[in-house]
Amino acid sequence: MNFINRAIKNVTRKYSKSILLVLTFFLIGNLVIIGLGVSNASKSAKILTRKKMRAVVTYKVDYEKVWAYMDSIEDEDERDKFYKDFPSIKLEDVVQFLADDRVKIANALSSSMWYADEKGSLDFVHLNNKREEEMSGSSEQCYYDETGTQVCETYREPYFMIRCNMFPGMIEFEDGGYRIKEGRFYNQEEINEGDPVCVISENLSITNGLGVGDVITLSCGYSSLDTQRAGITAEDLENTFEVIGIYTHNSPLTPDSSNFEWASPYSNPDNMIFMPSTSAYLAQLTSLQKRFDYYSQNQNNYDGDYYLDEDNRPSEENMMKNIDIENATLLLNDPLDVDDFVDDYKGDLSQFVVLDANNEEFKKLAKPLDTLSMYANFIVWLVVINAVVIISLVTALTLKTREYEIGVLLSIGASKLKVIAQFFIELAIVAIIGFSLAVISGSLISKKVGAKVLEYQIASSDLNEDQGYSYDYFDPWSADYTTEISLDDLVAEYEVTISPLIIGEIYIMGLAIVLISVIIPSFMIMRYNPKKILMNTN
Amino acid sequence: MASILKLENINYSYIDGGYERVILDDLSYEFEEGKFYTVLGPSGSGKTTLLSIISGLDTAKSGEIYFKGQNIVRELGLHKYRRNCISIVFQSYNLISYLTAMENVMLAMSETDNRLPKDRKTVAYNLLKRFGIVKTKADRIVTQLSGGEQQRVAIARALASNVDLIFADEPTGNLDTATEKEIIAIFNELSHEFGKTIIVVTHSDTVSELSDERVLLKGGKLHTIATVKDKGF
Repeated sequence: MNFINRAIKNVTRKYSKSILLVLTFFLIGNLVIIGLGVSNASKSAKILTRKKMRAVVTYKVDYEKVWAYMDSIEDEDERDKFYKDFPSIKLEDVVQFLADDRVKIANALSSSMWYADEKGSLDFVHLNNKREEEMSGSSEQCYYDETGTQVCETYREPYFMIRCNMFPGMIEFEDGGYRIKEGRFYNQEEINEGDPVCVISENLSITNGLGVGDVITLSCGYSSLDTQRAGITAEDLENTFEVIGIYTHNSPLTPDSSNFEWASPYSNPDNMIFMPSTSAYLAQLTSLQKRFDYYSQNQNNYDGDYYLDEDNRPSEENMMKNIDIENATLLLNDPLDVDDFVDDYKGDLSQFVVLDANNEEFKKLAKPLDTLSMYANFIVWLVVINAVVIISLVTALTLKTREYEIGVLLSIGASKLKVIAQFFIELAIVAIIGFSLAVISGSLISKKVGAKVLEYQIASSDLNEDQGYSYDYFDPWSADYTTEISLDDLVAEYEVTISPLIIGEIYIMGLAIVLISVIIPSFMIMRYNPKKILMNTN
Repeated sequence: MASILKLENINYSYIDGGYERVILDDLSYEFEEGKFYTVLGPSGSGKTTLLSIISGLDTAKSGEIYFKGQNIVRELGLHKYRRNCISIVFQSYNLISYLTAMENVMLAMSETDNRLPKDRKTVAYNLLKRFGIVKTKADRIVTQLSGGEQQRVAIARALASNVDLIFADEPTGNLDTATEKEIIAIFNELSHEFGKTIIVVTHSDTVSELSDERVLLKGGKLHTIATVKDKGF
């Protein structure tokens, strides 16, 4: 009869001892399942919620750090020097990020508000709200110029939001918020060349009877005292653009939106025009050059140093240097890569720029789940350690009563390893039975315990007051592509289920408990001398 | 007759209350094949120590033991020696309480035998039957058997491994006279008919008188005090 048979017979025939051990393992198993189940549910809820969020990383200047640094500068010259070389995000960094396989698409945006041409050949999509009624296109605006003289001139409301990118494709179009209905989006070649191309909304195309291939005329400014002084004419400001694509969108700016009545025409997503940053720059080049020339000749009134340097004069050659990227946003392929991506690059960034995964809110909201997970893991470890101690002690005590049996086995030539193996199998059998029963009961209990503990965690945290950022209107300036989430989103994903993986973990853990529990008794067995046992017994 | 077990200059002592107590003193002796030996001696003379050393349960401080010419420590190894060469019958039977009589007998076979489990079972039943344990009793947990029956099971287990050398430590100490005689008869049968060497440590005159050779352990040495010849066999 081999040691496996002996182990089975010992378990089945000494059933009162076996039942007690099964019960012990059953209780241990239940606690472990509850712990693992709850911990796993917390992790899954976080992963699922993170997956629901956009995989967005923002590359931006850390203004808090900038202001803090500036406050610390005492020397005026040094402060001026810092101003002139003010921190900014760099296009080459965004290009480097984009080369990373994890990055799907990048927005390196610059935005400006533009006008229709003098003839008004392009009408905007009307909201017909109170603002349009009251402003009716223009109003008088007064201000004090640099000589301290009050100047009044007609203010013209910009109609169009020009949203420019340095890369083909945009996050808006990638995630389904915007969709090309006809034509196409601009490509890299058009960006490199600064081709005068644009993508307009379906409603704008309908309002003006436009289609793909048609040309529109836009003005990047209007005749004002400022332009007149610099000798900028209407022709300098106006440019024609070929419509290469028409888009639709699901932006929520409707009469139900909270800012609808006072929204400007350019706030209407239908009046947003997409074009390459280089195209917008070239469209403004003549006026920029004339303005530069004027300022350089009137340096006393302006920042003389800048305008005296001919290298700063806007030109096609220094186009890339002069395009001001307001912010850059990266869309990653997998939301779960976001943290690693930020960690990988944050060491390479300069002092005042950051990669922001917008994880703070998520981390804050996930805190109850983290706490829950931490406690659950703590319980698992506590139970496992206790289990090892208890089972080791029980086994060691049992050994004392089984010394005689060990002596017999050793005297008939059974090896000590086989005796240890028999003890291991005996414990493993009861552990498997106990844990199998625990899997059934634990999966039911863990659901209820998990829900109760989470409920308590949420109730005892102050998160409910802070959550609920909900923008129900379109913000034309916003380049925030992060997904707002609430605690409800997280809790909705929280579900304690005992997956096959957890069941596998439990059995592995159980066998590990048995294995460790057998170690101490094993040392005792290895020290046993059959003569002493048997002679003492006799 | 050929020697089966040869003891050469065996010494064994232990420290007791600061003094060295010598149990076996340069002991040399040869046990022959097919004989039934009884080892006698007063209490504390070291009979059990001798038995544990020659059965490989313990080791001597010095000296050599040879089984069929092979050193049991250096050539055979104590573990192999216990498993393949000898069997031991104890006064308290030393059966495993959660196994049946048949399973206890099979226990010894599993360590030495390459036969199929089914065949081993048959051998175990036959052995037990030979010692008066019928199948219905053979299938009982050993704790449900009488003392005599348990001792017979223990002897059957000793025989199951089919070794040539069987040791017994006071095997009839807990048995009534009738059963004691039965057991002695079995030992005689084993040695005379099956060529087994039986070495029994005992206080019992009944047992020693019926053995082939009586050996006295005295002053740490073994002395033959009576042989078969002396008894007129």
